Amino acid sequence: MSRSTQLLRLLSLLLLAGCAATPANVAGAGTQLETRQIQTREYNTLDKSMTMRSVVATLQDLGFTIDQADAELGTVTATRLHQYTMRMTVTVVEKDAGRISVRASARIGENSVTDAATYQDFFVVLDKAMFLTLHKVD
Amino acid sequence: MRRALLSLPLMTLLCGCATSVPGAALRLPESTLDVRSIQTRTLTAPSEIDILTATVALMQDMEFSIERIEKPLGVITASKITDADSKGQKTGLIFLDLLCAASGSSGCNASSTASDNQHTTLTMVVLPSLARRGEYTVRITLQRVIFDKMGRIKVLERLDDAETYQQIFDNLRKSLFIQVGEK
Repeated sequence: MSRSTQLLRLLSLLLLAGCAATPANVAGAGTQLETRQIQTREYNTLDKSMTMRSVVATLQDLGFTIDQADAELGTVTATRLHQYTMRMTVTVVEKDAGRISVRASARIGENSVTDAATYQDFFVVLDKAMFLTLHKVD
Repeated sequence: MRRALLSLPLMTLLCGCATSVPGAALRLPESTLDVRSIQTRTLTAPSEIDILTATVALMQDMEFSIERIEKPLGVITASKITDADSKGQKTGLIFLDLLCAASGSSGCNASSTASDNQHTTLTMVVLPSLARRGEYTVRITLQRVIFDKMGRIKVLERLDDAETYQQIFDNLRKSLFIQVGEK
């Protein structure tokens, strides 16, 4: 067997192994801290309920339908059906000194979104919604 | 040639498993303001309970099942499953199969492409106006999934048709009128 054929076989094996599905991806990929940093922003302009109002408005602006919202737990789950299914969970947590932490996590179909730019886009829209809520614009 | 052959599995390995996020997945489209104005109305109501009760009654009128209500956030989520095809469409597809069979062709299966049912989900967000006391902003979002006879997804879409939303708001006004009048 020539050397290049061996190399080709090795690469093909690697290809097959690389895409093999693990039985259950429960823990998720990526480091916990890195994922949190990408998905989280802190605000100190509005209270928790007004921040949640802004989150709901943002998700609606982005074409999502709200599946579930819990004001007490600060959780909103929403789905968008447009060419593909995108599902988002946003949590709003009250921290000390009036700080509000907003964390968003998204999934497209069976895959979680890990791309920092996509979350950045979400927070740009949320920033605008928060600004409008702060200035009492419906 | 050999080098190209060798690099192929490697390139597939690098690209094949990556989860690609569609560009601008969470960026506001230009049509945002138009869509928002189609989906939103400001209504006057004596109290938040009145407008929420009228909204729930309207959902029932529209034959939706209420799935969740989160009063502090004014979020009402409802859904319904309906037949996706008109009788005419179904008859047409059966007729097409009959014609196909009569011509002696095999694999006449047009009726399997008929839509079976559509799952419509609706969210209504009813909140006191930030700008004006006694007014409430109501925003509706609608989306649907249509399945064919084989259970495959045929259509996956958000409904942006202005007329549909206008009809719902007209009915909400009526529902609110009845709700307030009944007190």
